[in-house]
Amino acid sequence: MKKLYSNKLVIASLVFPGLLVFLFAILAPICLSVYYGFTDYSGMGAANLIGFDNYKALLKDSTFWLALRNSLLLAIGFICIQHPLALIVAAVLDKLQGKAEGFFRCVYFIPNVISVAVIAYLWKFIYNPDFGLLNNILHIFGYQGKVNFLSKEYAIWSVLIVLIWHGFGWGMLIYYTGIKNIDPVLYEAASIDGANKKTTFLRITLPLMKPVIQINVTMAVISALKQMETVYLLTNGGPGNSTQFTANYLYQQAFKAFKYGYGNAIGVVFIIICLLVTVGLNKIFAEKTV
Amino acid sequence: MEKKIKTKKQWTVGRVLLWVVLICVAVIQIFPLIWLVDFSLASSNEMFTKGLLVIPQKIQWGNYVKAFIDGHFLLYLKNSLLINGLAVLLVILISLMAAFACKRMIWKMSGLVKTLLLLGMMIPIHATLLPNYKIYNMLGLTDTIWALLIPYIAFSLPQALFLMTGFLDAIPVELEEAAVMDGSGIYRIVFRMILPLMKSSVATVAIMTFLNNWNEFMMASTYLSSPTWKTLPFSVLEFTGQYSSNYAVQFAVMALTAAPAVLVYILLNKHITKGVAMGAVKG
Repeated sequence: MKKLYSNKLVIASLVFPGLLVFLFAILAPICLSVYYGFTDYSGMGAANLIGFDNYKALLKDSTFWLALRNSLLLAIGFICIQHPLALIVAAVLDKLQGKAEGFFRCVYFIPNVISVAVIAYLWKFIYNPDFGLLNNILHIFGYQGKVNFLSKEYAIWSVLIVLIWHGFGWGMLIYYTGIKNIDPVLYEAASIDGANKKTTFLRITLPLMKPVIQINVTMAVISALKQMETVYLLTNGGPGNSTQFTANYLYQQAFKAFKYGYGNAIGVVFIIICLLVTVGLNKIFAEKTV
Repeated sequence: MEKKIKTKKQWTVGRVLLWVVLICVAVIQIFPLIWLVDFSLASSNEMFTKGLLVIPQKIQWGNYVKAFIDGHFLLYLKNSLLINGLAVLLVILISLMAAFACKRMIWKMSGLVKTLLLLGMMIPIHATLLPNYKIYNMLGLTDTIWALLIPYIAFSLPQALFLMTGFLDAIPVELEEAAVMDGSGIYRIVFRMILPLMKSSVATVAIMTFLNNWNEFMMASTYLSSPTWKTLPFSVLEFTGQYSSNYAVQFAVMALTAAPAVLVYILLNKHITKGVAMGAVKG
């Protein structure tokens, strides 16, 4: 058995495809990014090594910091609005039982299976000043003016609403599964002790859901950092960079502003930030649970 | 029995409130989509209404005909199905093989290789858009199916590997020992014994991979230029330019491209929920 299980040739053949894909699609591009990050390459012509100039420029680039601030806003929106709501709805849904439970669960998740392309354009229409849904709703409530939801002042909030709306079902489903995994005996014991619904939720559901909440919060922060596709289609960072996100910014710098080298420098910093945040959050949560 | 009667009677304020919250959230989640379908059946002139929904004078099925033909719906759907199907298949095979090698086989580097492969989970996909474009361009892979297949596999692999190694733990080693006694080789054990045993795990990996990649368009729009391999989201993306003033047709193409995923989700709702739940909680 042991001989068979330590056959080097077999091992190599089993891991080779995985490693090859990793090297070719993840590691090689990162290395290339590091290289171009040190150049002034525009996308055409020659690439000259310019040392850390791109990185120095990046530190002074206010748009880059704005993009990070927007990610932070989004993460706060996820954590303070989407997740509490998702958790409460999940807890309520768990108590429903029967057909209604399945129905609501299904309805909440549907936006998640729809392509970002559709979602972004749909919301563009919802925000449309002329025939958009939101302005029509405002009319019903008696407001007569037209709100331009994608103007410089409001755009970032409009983007946040779309993202919070789109991801709601996903967060809800994960909390829902977590709650389903809680031993029902605990709830019985609580009701025998005379605990009401609120106490049960605060004293049993919430503490037991801690690991799930931690995973969900970590994922929320990271997805806020990585956000690109919705923003790319909805506002493309505009108007005037007010809804810029890091991934979108590096893409624009490389392919629109023809600063391919600079775009790659942003990419490298972006990867480092994502790694640090992931590791950092895991560390914080790991310490707390001990 | 007693409990059942009790809960049925309790139409208290709390219970009503509970239903109100659930229905409100459901309306917020689903109404934009109802609005989308409603407007897709109207004519563009009818959209400038004061109400929330319009009742079309005549249902404009023609919007959908235009969307279907001019949106290259069938071609893009076929591409999406083919590329995603292949990606799912390959992700399952590669992740199962790697998981088995890292978890069960005896070699020094197993831990290191596993960590390396899992590292991909932390890398933001969009940071690789620029260098990968360059690489694919150099190798002549842009505008081929590989330009999508390779990154789709690469970015689904870490999660799949993570799930597979978790699920593999649940399979008793004794089973393999018995198979070895019977003279099975490793490949036979992996593909003939482990794979059938992990059916539900494989389904989870398949669902997660499919959901991740089905709606992807950023890489597709960077690496592809001709319609040959373009995927479903392009029906929408290309249409907005082409029919920029005919809003109703744009609504139709959006409803049409969303339809396959929504229908499949409603049909397989239970399995997908279970799959996502298993995948997400473990991941």
